[in-house]
Amino acid sequence: MRRVEQVMGFPVSLRVDDEDVPERAADAVFDWLREVDARFSPFRPDSEVSRLDRGEVRDVSADLREVLDLCEEYRLATGGAFDVRLPGRGLDPCAVVKGWSVQRAAGLLTAAGARRFCLNAGGDVVVAGGPWRVGVRHPEHADRLCTVLELTDAAVATSARYERGDHILDGRTGLPATGLLGMTVVAPTLTEADSVATAAFALGAEGIAWAAARPGCEVFAVDAERRVFRTAGMPVAPGTAAAA
Amino acid sequence: MKRAIPVLVLTVAGLVPVWRYEPSTGTTSTARAAPAPTASAPSGSSSGTVVKGTTVHTEKGPVQVEVVFQGEEIASVRMLQQPDHPQTQAAVPKLIEETLRAQSADIDTVSGATITSDGYKESLQAALDAKGA
Repeated sequence: MRRVEQVMGFPVSLRVDDEDVPERAADAVFDWLREVDARFSPFRPDSEVSRLDRGEVRDVSADLREVLDLCEEYRLATGGAFDVRLPGRGLDPCAVVKGWSVQRAAGLLTAAGARRFCLNAGGDVVVAGGPWRVGVRHPEHADRLCTVLELTDAAVATSARYERGDHILDGRTGLPATGLLGMTVVAPTLTEADSVATAAFALGAEGIAWAAARPGCEVFAVDAERRVFRTAGMPVAPGTAAAA
Repeated sequence: MKRAIPVLVLTVAGLVPVWRYEPSTGTTSTARAAPAPTASAPSGSSSGTVVKGTTVHTEKGPVQVEVVFQGEEIASVRMLQQPDHPQTQAAVPKLIEETLRAQSADIDTVSGATITSDGYKESLQAALDAKGA
């Protein structure tokens, strides 16, 4: 089963290889992601996030509380480089919402009996029942890869400038983070992989060692001088690693 | 001095999570002084009072810090000993350095933001979805 839909402003593609998994399992995934968009998008004036930002929410929902707690955890862990409440800007927890919600969507698939699937939400990926070969988009050539990973049950997220340009700000300076060209993190869940990749990108060059020190995280990073750094445990597919 | 020691222990407890985020570049042990059985006598100077903490044996290993006081306030804290423990070792990630190169390969999916539809159309992921449909 394969499905592609545009949700939350990016394309989400789903591939489930188990033939006994019904189409409605995929429906549930896209329904959930549309629900997340409606509830947590800062671009929708009626979302809970927008209403909270305007001081109109007294009791934050358990889901949003979980997201905001994660945001705060990463703000503290990065010394403020990752911050969803930047001065002069509205509350924007998108970086955490994306990984968190797609990981939960993967949980819906598992609960529906899916054993081998690949869920790619705008370049952030959860796979199960591998081996899956996941290419990492080259930071400068949209049609090329800079490495290939071989994953079994894992999540991978990449933060890079790509077509959005300097969209990740360093909360310590309020300026765009430019120390890295790309930061790819593999972790047990996309909640971790996406948050760590975004936070490390905001940290800049020091984010490489920071992300590598996070428990369970493997790192593939390209710095502004086009040097590549990866942790020894990064599951690079055989034959694709460049010479050291 | 007796009153200073609990302050040091609390400081150590507060520092433990920080190790993971501030990896040193060298070895995991930064011990420069032999483990002191007791806190050292404060050595005063114009820039503050330097006090070595006692070696505290935590579940992760021995910890010793050096604290500089400016009057009653802690001005800085430096690690003299850190536990030689897997969790601390992980704080010094070994990074393999490579050169960036472009490659193509037989893949199932692509990681890397494909935010806009225009970008997506150009992206490899679109080709893969088209191929598999």
